Amino acid sequence: MKKIEAIIKPFKLDDVKETLNEAGVQGMTISEVKGYGRQKGHKEIYRGAEYVVDFIPKIKIEVIVVDEMVEPVIEKIRDAANTGKLGDGKIFVLPVEQVIRVRTGETGPDAI
Amino acid sequence: MTFANIRNQGISPSEILQQERARLAERDMSGDSLKFLSANTRLLDDYFRRSFEISLTGPVMDLVKNPYAIIALGGYGRKEQCLASDVDLLFLFRGEIPASADDLIREVIYPLWDMGIEVGHATRSVAECVTMAAKDFDLFTPLLDARFICGISPLFSGLMDQLENAVISKNADCYINWLVKRNQARHQRFGDSANLLEPNIKEGRGGLRDYHTMLWIAGIRSDIRQRRDLEYYGYLSHDEYRELIRALKFVWRVRNHLHRLTGRKCDQLYFEYQVKLAEVLNFEKTKGWEPVELFLGVLHDKMECIKQQHLMFLYELGISGMRQGRPRAAKQTRVKGLVIKKGKLGFAASRYILSDPKLLIAIFEESAVLKIPLNVTARRLIKDLLYLVDKKYRRSGAVMKSFERILVASSPEFNVLSVMLNTGLLAQLIPGFKGIINRIQFDSYHIFPVGRHSLGTVRIIKSFGTDEDASGYPFCGDLYKKLRNRKILLWAALLHDIGKGIPEGGHSLRGAAMVHDLLTARGQAIADVKRTCFLVKEHLLLMKTATRRDIQDEETAISCARIIKDAELLKMLYLLSVADAMSTGPKAWNDWTATLLRDLFVKVLNIIENGELATSEAVEILTVKKKLLLGAARSPAALKEYEFLFQVMSPRYQLTIDVEDMMDHVRLYQKLKDTDFVWSIVPAVDSNTRRVIICARDRPGLFSRIAGVFTLNSIDILAAQVFTWRNNVALDIFEVKAPVDPIFEDRKWARTGQDLRAVLTGRLDLAALLADRLFISRSAKPVFSRPCKIVVDNEISSFYTVIEVHAHDFQGFLYQITDALLLCNLDVRIAKIATQVDQVVDVFYVRDFDGRKVDGSDRIEAIKSEILQVLPGYSEEEKSHEEDRSDNQTV
Repeated sequence: MKKIEAIIKPFKLDDVKETLNEAGVQGMTISEVKGYGRQKGHKEIYRGAEYVVDFIPKIKIEVIVVDEMVEPVIEKIRDAANTGKLGDGKIFVLPVEQVIRVRTGETGPDAI
Repeated sequence: MTFANIRNQGISPSEILQQERARLAERDMSGDSLKFLSANTRLLDDYFRRSFEISLTGPVMDLVKNPYAIIALGGYGRKEQCLASDVDLLFLFRGEIPASADDLIREVIYPLWDMGIEVGHATRSVAECVTMAAKDFDLFTPLLDARFICGISPLFSGLMDQLENAVISKNADCYINWLVKRNQARHQRFGDSANLLEPNIKEGRGGLRDYHTMLWIAGIRSDIRQRRDLEYYGYLSHDEYRELIRALKFVWRVRNHLHRLTGRKCDQLYFEYQVKLAEVLNFEKTKGWEPVELFLGVLHDKMECIKQQHLMFLYELGISGMRQGRPRAAKQTRVKGLVIKKGKLGFAASRYILSDPKLLIAIFEESAVLKIPLNVTARRLIKDLLYLVDKKYRRSGAVMKSFERILVASSPEFNVLSVMLNTGLLAQLIPGFKGIINRIQFDSYHIFPVGRHSLGTVRIIKSFGTDEDASGYPFCGDLYKKLRNRKILLWAALLHDIGKGIPEGGHSLRGAAMVHDLLTARGQAIADVKRTCFLVKEHLLLMKTATRRDIQDEETAISCARIIKDAELLKMLYLLSVADAMSTGPKAWNDWTATLLRDLFVKVLNIIENGELATSEAVEILTVKKKLLLGAARSPAALKEYEFLFQVMSPRYQLTIDVEDMMDHVRLYQKLKDTDFVWSIVPAVDSNTRRVIICARDRPGLFSRIAGVFTLNSIDILAAQVFTWRNNVALDIFEVKAPVDPIFEDRKWARTGQDLRAVLTGRLDLAALLADRLFISRSAKPVFSRPCKIVVDNEISSFYTVIEVHAHDFQGFLYQITDALLLCNLDVRIAKIATQVDQVVDVFYVRDFDGRKVDGSDRIEAIKSEILQVLPGYSEEEKSHEEDRSDNQTV
């Protein structure tokens, strides 16, 4: 099992969610996050005063999938979240040792 | 070893209790909840009496020497025993507690535990009770509800007398203060139940505890014994008491059902139970409203009622524990018929209202002006006399003006509107408001009912720039202070969700229509009404766009700007969006959404203030152009394609290019397919120039390469425009001088075309070829008439860095400049090249290859020096002089 974390642009959330549902991903965790990568912050100018936007609002999606699903899920996220511009985001893949469903106590892939 | 087995006289008291309780829960849950509570209480009483009668231990204990009694405490004492509430008991002994007391308790209480009833019991002597109660108010409070059940009754009355002497007569005020403070702490912890999504119906503000507190305080003050005494002793008016009981009955009913649903004592109304509760309480779907939304609406209404009564109760006793609002210097009112007594505003007599109903609104205006709260009598009178507010009253200009003054009165912390809402006057003045007062939206997003949310929005807008400003940016206060007409914004804030009162369809549109009727009927200026309606209609525009569109895309900001068109209106819309989100709840407003929204706002504002792209004329022109272009389509497929192409054309292109030319360009584009480029060369009618239109896939450096190829073929560029469509197609339009040799013009173009193809496919080294050719012209120093100038501007556009180059024309000028830009890793998105005699003014809208503006000062310097290098004869002295000037210059 792997955990796939994707940082994407906020307005792409619906697209990504939809395509992941189609791919059979059962659930996901969404957080509103802020940060910066190569995109860095930027300046906005209002009446001569600069407003520095240090951290840029992004969405973090976390899904846990079985190993075979990793590639297709990454593919789907990339397709849906791509605008071709800077700041489209990143995808991380992490190993997951165990998953337990609280209600039933099921473990492993069954609990995903 | 239970007594039932031993005595074996038929069924045991606990069995009877169990059966009866089951029957009660089955039969009476949906009836009068007050009857249910007393019935439930009676069952427990019966149980204790029976147990007492058949007790084995009882007779053994020496009743004469050490008499005892069983006393009910808390809710059970008040005969308000909900289905799964705790049963609080006191085993009271006259003297020391005998060892056999344990057996008694085992006999009486264990069976209850076995049934799953939670019993809290204390075993104390009378003396213990009194000393403990005097020391610890926490132990005293339940005793206020004490009720004798069985045993030796004089013991109970003795205890009550002793408490009266030892605690109540000595420490009454101290205790009441303690109670009020505790109450406030409780409210802090559990929040305002009248407004929360998952309210605690017992502990929250507006919960049952508020009512208990009233009872306790009245009990201390006037020795009242039952809730009815609240009215008899004058704490509440007859109507208020009736209203309170009605509210309590509803909350109790909800509580009983919640207990049954959860199978335990649970007072927090979690989401998961709300839908089921609405169903068992027989709420039905009406007019597109979910049963659960109706249920929560009623519940919040009832809890609001309890909350208000509780507040008023404390207020009247002068023990609110809050700021008393008493003015330091006695304030005076000049309005006839109003008086200020004890720092509160009231009517001199009710007959004044009847002779001049305008006093109903005048009192609020005066309250807002003087910042003095209304007294309780005034609130009661207003409630009773609401019928005076009829259609004629609503449409009176004077009333309208009064209301507007209340609306704009700048005091977020002294909220007159909220009192107007509570007395019902607001809904009476604005009939549409009735529909949203307790309109609940069943989601985890909207914390407050719509009516309160609307008032909250008004309050937050008024707080901008004050100490109460919670937006976290000085921005909002700044904008708000500079607004020319705040009234419009405040009207919009008050009414922005009024469309939610009617369930079907989109509330923004419907709300705008309602606001239009409402304000027109009240004689508002048409222009103001229009703007207010616009704000109501579009109050979600900015937030939706900020969270659902790519705000880094210029198109997004332009489309917003085209809807809003006006900077003042945009500022109001932004303030409304911020306040709306802030008063919705933490999910709608946090630092994350705030950043997005502000980003979008600044971008849109930039476009409206700087650009010609979003004026109303621009919007009109575009509509016409689109219609014409689509009208040229000959088939449905073509129509689809044209529609798509119009979509991807950049806003500047749409605006500046004629429809005929657009169609030419579209035809040209259709030929592009997979080729490197397509072009058309059109001779001008009235001068010896050619227009060369080149259509190609966009790539960095395309423009400079074309310019270079022209230079290579000795074609003089007079003017140029660069457009980039969003489907990555570049459209470059050049005005060039006709070739010197008119006879072989076609051949010239053919060779230029070949060169261009070769350069684009990388088969021809343009730089090397041009280096030889340009060497000569560069060393020939032209005679200056005016100095060169380079201006880098990052303010005019949120999306591009704008570079202006003023210089003298020379051969290959355009190629050199654009090549310099390419060397700086800049992508030319828009260019306007114009030549007048020998003076060139070139404007480039550039971004780096990552699509960002260039705003680092070192990078700007690098760009300037790169361009300067290609400008011939630009001496050092002039350079420093020019840089000073260009730094100062903004457009």
